[in-house]
Amino acid sequence: MQYVIIGNSAAGTQAAETIRKYDSAGNIVIISDEPHAAYSRCLLPDYLAGERSEKTILFKSANFYGRNNVATMFGKKAVDIDSENQKVYLGDGHTVSYDKLLIATGSSAFVPPIKGIDESGIFNLRNLDDAVGIKEAAKKARRVVVVGGGFVGLEAAYSLYSLGLEVTVVERLSQIVPGQFDVKAAAILRNDMQAEGIRIITGDGIKEIAGPSLWNRLFNKTGKGVLLDSGERLKCELVVVATGTRANVGLTDKTGIKVNRGIEINEYMETNVPNIYAAGDVAETVDVVSGELGLSPIWPNAIVQGRMAGLNMVGQTRKYSKMIGMQNSVEFRNVPAIAIGLTRTPDDCEEMVIHRPHLNYYRKLILKDDILKGMIFVGDIRRAGVYAALIKKKVPVTKFKQQLLKESFGYSSIIS
Amino acid sequence: MSDCKTCPSVDNCYSAHETVNQMQERLDDMGVDTVFTRYEKQQPQCGFGMQGVCCQLCSHGPCRITPKASKGICGASADTIVARNLVRLTTHGVAAYSHHLEELAKTIKATANGKTPYKIQDEGKLREIAKVAGLDLNKTANELAEQLADVILSDLRKDSGEPLAMLELFAPETRKKVWRELGVIPGGVHSEIRDALTKTMSNINTDPIDLLLTSLRLSIATGYTGLVATVTLQDILLGTPEVTESEADLGIIDPDTVNIVAHGHVPLVATAVLGAIESDEMIKYAKEAGANGIKVYGSMCTGQELMQRKGTTASNYSGQLGNWLSQEHHIATGAIDLVMMDMNCSIPGMKSVADKFHTKLVSVDRILRMEGVKDNVDYDPEKVEEQAKELVKMAVDTYKKRDKGKVQIPGHKSAAVAGFSVESILGALGGSLDPLLDEIKKGNIKGIAAVVGCTNNRNGHDDKGLTIMKEFIKNDVLVIAAGCMSSGAEIEGLMLPSAADQAGDGLKAVCNALGVPPVLNFGSCVDIGRIGAAVTAIAGALGVDPSQLPVVASAPEYLEQKAIADGIFAVSFGLLTHLGPVPPVTGSPLVTKVLTEDIEGLTGGKVLVEEDPVKAVEKMLAHIEKKRQGLGI
Amino acid sequence: MKQIFVDIDKCTGCLTCTLACAAEHSSSKDIVGAMLEKVQPRISVEAVNGKAVPLMCRHCEEPTCVDACMTGAMQKDKETGIVSNENNDQSCIGCWMCIMACPYGAIQPNEEEGIAIKCDKCNGREVPACVESCHTGALLYVDGKTFTQEKLTKTAKALTEAS
Repeated sequence: MQYVIIGNSAAGTQAAETIRKYDSAGNIVIISDEPHAAYSRCLLPDYLAGERSEKTILFKSANFYGRNNVATMFGKKAVDIDSENQKVYLGDGHTVSYDKLLIATGSSAFVPPIKGIDESGIFNLRNLDDAVGIKEAAKKARRVVVVGGGFVGLEAAYSLYSLGLEVTVVERLSQIVPGQFDVKAAAILRNDMQAEGIRIITGDGIKEIAGPSLWNRLFNKTGKGVLLDSGERLKCELVVVATGTRANVGLTDKTGIKVNRGIEINEYMETNVPNIYAAGDVAETVDVVSGELGLSPIWPNAIVQGRMAGLNMVGQTRKYSKMIGMQNSVEFRNVPAIAIGLTRTPDDCEEMVIHRPHLNYYRKLILKDDILKGMIFVGDIRRAGVYAALIKKKVPVTKFKQQLLKESFGYSSIIS
Repeated sequence: MSDCKTCPSVDNCYSAHETVNQMQERLDDMGVDTVFTRYEKQQPQCGFGMQGVCCQLCSHGPCRITPKASKGICGASADTIVARNLVRLTTHGVAAYSHHLEELAKTIKATANGKTPYKIQDEGKLREIAKVAGLDLNKTANELAEQLADVILSDLRKDSGEPLAMLELFAPETRKKVWRELGVIPGGVHSEIRDALTKTMSNINTDPIDLLLTSLRLSIATGYTGLVATVTLQDILLGTPEVTESEADLGIIDPDTVNIVAHGHVPLVATAVLGAIESDEMIKYAKEAGANGIKVYGSMCTGQELMQRKGTTASNYSGQLGNWLSQEHHIATGAIDLVMMDMNCSIPGMKSVADKFHTKLVSVDRILRMEGVKDNVDYDPEKVEEQAKELVKMAVDTYKKRDKGKVQIPGHKSAAVAGFSVESILGALGGSLDPLLDEIKKGNIKGIAAVVGCTNNRNGHDDKGLTIMKEFIKNDVLVIAAGCMSSGAEIEGLMLPSAADQAGDGLKAVCNALGVPPVLNFGSCVDIGRIGAAVTAIAGALGVDPSQLPVVASAPEYLEQKAIADGIFAVSFGLLTHLGPVPPVTGSPLVTKVLTEDIEGLTGGKVLVEEDPVKAVEKMLAHIEKKRQGLGI
Repeated sequence: MKQIFVDIDKCTGCLTCTLACAAEHSSSKDIVGAMLEKVQPRISVEAVNGKAVPLMCRHCEEPTCVDACMTGAMQKDKETGIVSNENNDQSCIGCWMCIMACPYGAIQPNEEEGIAIKCDKCNGREVPACVESCHTGALLYVDGKTFTQEKLTKTAKALTEAS
């Protein structure tokens, strides 16, 4: 049996480990376009800040591949799949046959069409090579403009700030972290970042990024100008673009695999094409809160999907139980924050709130018919998982509703 | 907490009082802890301590009785540890009461010698008591007052073998007989305290029964000195309460005046301050600071004492803000300039709230000190006139720092009738208790319940107390309230004649005929002595022992050591005594059984522990019914 | 494999287990020292209407905290079954993903050190310190099979209802 896994991150490695647990004889091959052993993308900002090295961002032990007898084809890009003959084509012309194939290709940085965005000195922060590049460029830079006020952008901003750079973040929408938090939570996090000295501009887009003038280039200067929609011009030597991601579905083009925003899979992690599975950021699963099919590009879900794919590929048939698509934990500076499930209250839902921005404290719960649908904790994130479990299991909260917002609420409040 | 769900605080409900919830919301928003949030942070609380089986007396300890260790290291059993801890709690209560009484006796002596701003207010009562005490009635009021004070001071200081004079003079004969047989007639209070503390050192007295009897002795000493004697002397010095009307709750705070809160238990400095704010000098000083005037409000029992005497020496008292659990919330209005704290019940949490505003806290008792409080104007009867002015000036100076933008006064307030006492009831009834007794005999009033004592967050602020009062009156039981329970009832309008609408038909008719509320305000926790006097008078009028009366006592939210002494006194006095929070005795099967069962055969009283207020009232009603049957009414 | 079981009815809320836990995880190994070192206990005792309920990691079969850990620090040991973010190849960074994932609320943030802390069953100690310190028998360290059927059922019921 030949198991081929495209992708060497959370879902891919988890699948490999799981397959090996049940099949000691089969061949497992992991193909990755990156030349590195599996590292944690979430730690790239820490790498950038110098708090973690290339070694300490690895999330698997050094002997992971050897111990699990996994063959690696790193630095090779899978470009096409021949699903009829069960073959994967690599960019270098080689082919790899499979009996079972897992697509765990993750996602890539989305780069918006902005004039000048493909100039040198402009980076994404999606993979280790990006981080290495930014780190190198940061040595010569004094000022940086981060385009995008999402998680990646703000974490990059904080890392670069801690390296001593003057940082400005520009977010097109009216709040930071618009995808993960609501306005109130974002405001607290923003104040916390600004208190550190990071400038944050919201509600303003990038019109153009202008490179150094010919004259400046002659003197080996790298200064750039970032022109905003409002007309403001920000001077900097480095630009980091963090405006979201897109699922890496390119290699499915000729396969007939059903793709929406990501690869559609069933509850056994199977695509519509036999013997091809998908898991992780590239896969679309049903969200337990909304009941709808969609991407859930978060670490814990990738791990679970990887494991489920592995189990099903190896014949240990197991159904994937629906997960919460959106769960995020963040602590940019001093204020921890967690959001799970819905963060904006729909009209047909009820909201329970404690909002004390001056204390960096905010709690919001969203309920529908006494079923928890979402929550945001800012400032005190203890026991957030208990709420996640209530959301996931759709436990009616009627009995302990008055206790829900209290700091003393915990697992024991549910079982008693 | 309460299930009322009627006010906007339903998601943040800690108190039966809407105003307190509003201030709690404000303090939550400021990130300031209060007794309510600190209570939550203390959960869970140690079960060994709750059961009273934790002993920390020696350095072998702490020991606690557990399934695997049935004895302390010295061999002390759970019964010993629990009984010994109970004696220590009672001793603390007695000691605190004796401090209050001693300050008062000294004040009376100084007043008799013309050295204080006070005057003997109730010469009639003085002469009546002096007569019972066998003093020479030909003497002047001042001379008699000094002699009576000496009798009482001697009661505090005599040997433990010499019986208390106050007990001899005022206890019903039937009670004395019971107590003599039990060997619990106390001697001098200070000697009793010495003996009790000595006994409860490690390995001196380890006999749980003797320790329990020691608690009874101490509580009886409390009853006739700390309670009865204190009430008597306060009436003589400050006036016996007369029926009057006042107001309660945070809505009474005037945003335009200098606001002083008299907080604690001993109303001496507060009465002097009420005098000082009338002086032209102080009024002028306040006006110059931009204030409309100066007002003194009450908090806890000092406030209750002032309210009781609004008809006599406290006519310019501006009303009651609240009780123990709400002391931090008074300050949270941002409109309190000075809190003068006398003797006990000033919690350190007040300082944390005061620090968020401009409010100044000042101790006015030499024994009270609080971390962070720098101003101490220790009461001295001979200097109190100047001290009162100094306090008022401090208040005015602090007023100048008040940030008007931070003032937030809740709207609610309630009127409340106060000033009930044996004397004022007799006055209202035309000089005889008979009309009241007739109503009891006819069954329009089924009985009397003394709902007294502290307020305690364990079962929700004033929630249980108010429920108990309402259940009682609904069942035609007249309620007399004292201490923090009174404040709660005032705020919720139970001390108004119109509250008779909530009473059963019998009680309602009586209240309407007399124009009195169904819950009578007897004043402070010390005024439990006044309730004792009333019960004694009723027993005397009927020619029976107090234990035979359809009377019960309830401390549904008891909190501290003085209340322990009060509660055990009520049991010694022969009353069924309900306690809300379970006292720390349940770790001892013996002590629990004695207090809740066996003691009834000895004193006629016993402890009823029931946390559910409705069930508690049902049990007390059954007791009242039993006593009625015993009397054949 | 031995597990820590809780007999809730016996817990009296004395918090001795939390002190013993802190002591065991301190360098001084005693209660007074642990308080000086400000060691955070890994077992908590929650309260429901005043009733004490001890709560610590159950070292789940399929631990959601391990799934959520993006550094790889949180691992379930194949031999001992202990779930811990200490003494593994990778180290904790304090991203709080495990706190977001644990349905029992058994993982605490240590904000001073910026790491998550949790029960490690005293890492090989014969009897975990919390169990050893418990005076009422509310904490037990026994093989699942020796725990009485009734109590197992009770615990299992509580788990399935709420996890």
